Amino acid sequence: MSNTAIAAENATSLVVEGVSVIYPNGHQALNNASFRLGAGTICALVGVNGSGKSTLFKSIMGFVNPTAGTVRINGMPVRQSLKQHAVAYVPQAEEVDWQFPVSVSDVVMMGRYGAMNFLRIPRAVDRQKVEESLKRVSMWEFRDRQIGELSGGQKKRVFLARALAQGGRVILLDEPFTGVDVKTEDAIIALLHELRESGCIIFVSTHNLGSVPEFCDQVVLINRTVLAYGATADVFTAQNLAKAFGGVLREFEFEQSTIQEHDGQKVRVVTDDERPLVFGKDGHLEYMDREKHEKLLRERSEEND
Amino acid sequence: MTEFFQELLVPFQYDYMLRAIWVSALVGGVCGFLSSFVTLKGWSLMGDALSHAVVPGVAIAYIIGVPFALGAFVAGILAAGAMAFIRAQSRIREDATIGIVFTAFFALGLVLISLFPSGVDLKVILYGNILGIAGEDIAQVVGISVVTLIVLGLKWRDLMLYCFDPNQARSLGLRAGALHITLLALLAATTVAALQAVGAILVLAMLVTPGATAYLLTDRFGKMLWISAGLGVVTSLGGAYASYFLNGATGGCIVTLQTLVFLVAFVFAPKQGILASRRAVRKGAAAPASRPVT
Repeated sequence: MSNTAIAAENATSLVVEGVSVIYPNGHQALNNASFRLGAGTICALVGVNGSGKSTLFKSIMGFVNPTAGTVRINGMPVRQSLKQHAVAYVPQAEEVDWQFPVSVSDVVMMGRYGAMNFLRIPRAVDRQKVEESLKRVSMWEFRDRQIGELSGGQKKRVFLARALAQGGRVILLDEPFTGVDVKTEDAIIALLHELRESGCIIFVSTHNLGSVPEFCDQVVLINRTVLAYGATADVFTAQNLAKAFGGVLREFEFEQSTIQEHDGQKVRVVTDDERPLVFGKDGHLEYMDREKHEKLLRERSEEND
Repeated sequence: MTEFFQELLVPFQYDYMLRAIWVSALVGGVCGFLSSFVTLKGWSLMGDALSHAVVPGVAIAYIIGVPFALGAFVAGILAAGAMAFIRAQSRIREDATIGIVFTAFFALGLVLISLFPSGVDLKVILYGNILGIAGEDIAQVVGISVVTLIVLGLKWRDLMLYCFDPNQARSLGLRAGALHITLLALLAATTVAALQAVGAILVLAMLVTPGATAYLLTDRFGKMLWISAGLGVVTSLGGAYASYFLNGATGGCIVTLQTLVFLVAFVFAPKQGILASRRAVRKGAAAPASRPVT
């Protein structure tokens, strides 16, 4: 094997091939799901509740063994990649016991456990990683707080810092923006962009459809199987979403946009969340570019004043 | 005055009291250490179940003449396995599962003891007999305690991570299943040791109260371990010592003392106590426009 082939094999990648998961009670959570992600991407995992999002996450983290098919991370089977701490997981806020007697820095240090010796006694390098990670999410001054004494956005940043300290190249985020203020959301998105630049794979499970085009360059749409995957502009279409969500979403059609001028004058709003997803004429996505959108809103309000 | 002090030293003149005091302190310390994990993992009910489920194991051990600790440990692990099996294979909820399994084991124990009355005294199992503890029993208690302390001392960080965030433990490649079984085995083993000191009925207090008290006193896990282990030692020592003067049941004295300490913490704990909470509420009411944490 040539050197470049080895390098390609070891490069960051997430390949899910024909994965089916049937739980012991006979429930088929996933059927023949396949997609592949290469280095340097932020990919949204979108689907209704019960569509197999969490089962897919669990099979990537090795918590459930697929009944058929394989998951390969950086070219390795899941178990082997976990031993190299390649997969970092940022849990939903509801999964965490916030009353547990640990401090912010304790939690981030837990990201280093895999790299530590048998007794898990932190070395200088572990402390340094923890400090770097906490500073990167601007939580260093809160390092001695008990985790329950933080706001929703701060809690999220602590667990992001843990993923950073772990140094995983594949980072799974479960509903990262639930209970998070807009400022923190922007900070998290900026951080995810940095991680993407450094070649990480960021895989984000979310039901916040409106935010997907803003920060994700790829999308995996699932409903028990992968319905579509690829670049956001190609996959995130009204037609595909209708397929993924059936009649679950609220949908409004306006003959005229109240916010933005359209050549076609017709807008469709798809939402199950506080931030709607908006399709303009021919189903093209609105608000792909958040800054432009906000500038436009500002200009409009100034005009009206 | 000197007479009074001499009076206080009287318990130490009796070998059986000295033994009772140091064995209680050892068991109390080990149980206290483990109680931090039990309370945070939410395994209090499990501890109660195990303490009753070991009874048939003790009975069988006496009948066939093997060390009681072995019989009790095997019974405890079997009970834990039975609970896990029923929960995985049916829709019955966890509390019902625990209820069914531990009463089944306990009932079996009662039947065995009544069928073979010469082997073992039910009262000893239920209420403990620390004052009569001797030779082989002490060796078993010491053995269990040393093993438990070594395992906890070496692996407490892994067990803490497992209690706090089992998913993170798994995704780091730690063997969560092995950690689960380790914690369960330690729980079963310390239950067996504590059985000697306070009996099956009060074992749960030894495995929960020090941890719960420590939880009210600190929000750092490392400190919580020291506090709960220390409380276990001090209350067991004090309870066993006081039982000489009160002429009361040793187990009862130990657990009563633990409860008193818990109540003090419950009221006066600096951050979590009810007085501190009231103060915080008043302060919050006095300054309603206080800045929320951002």
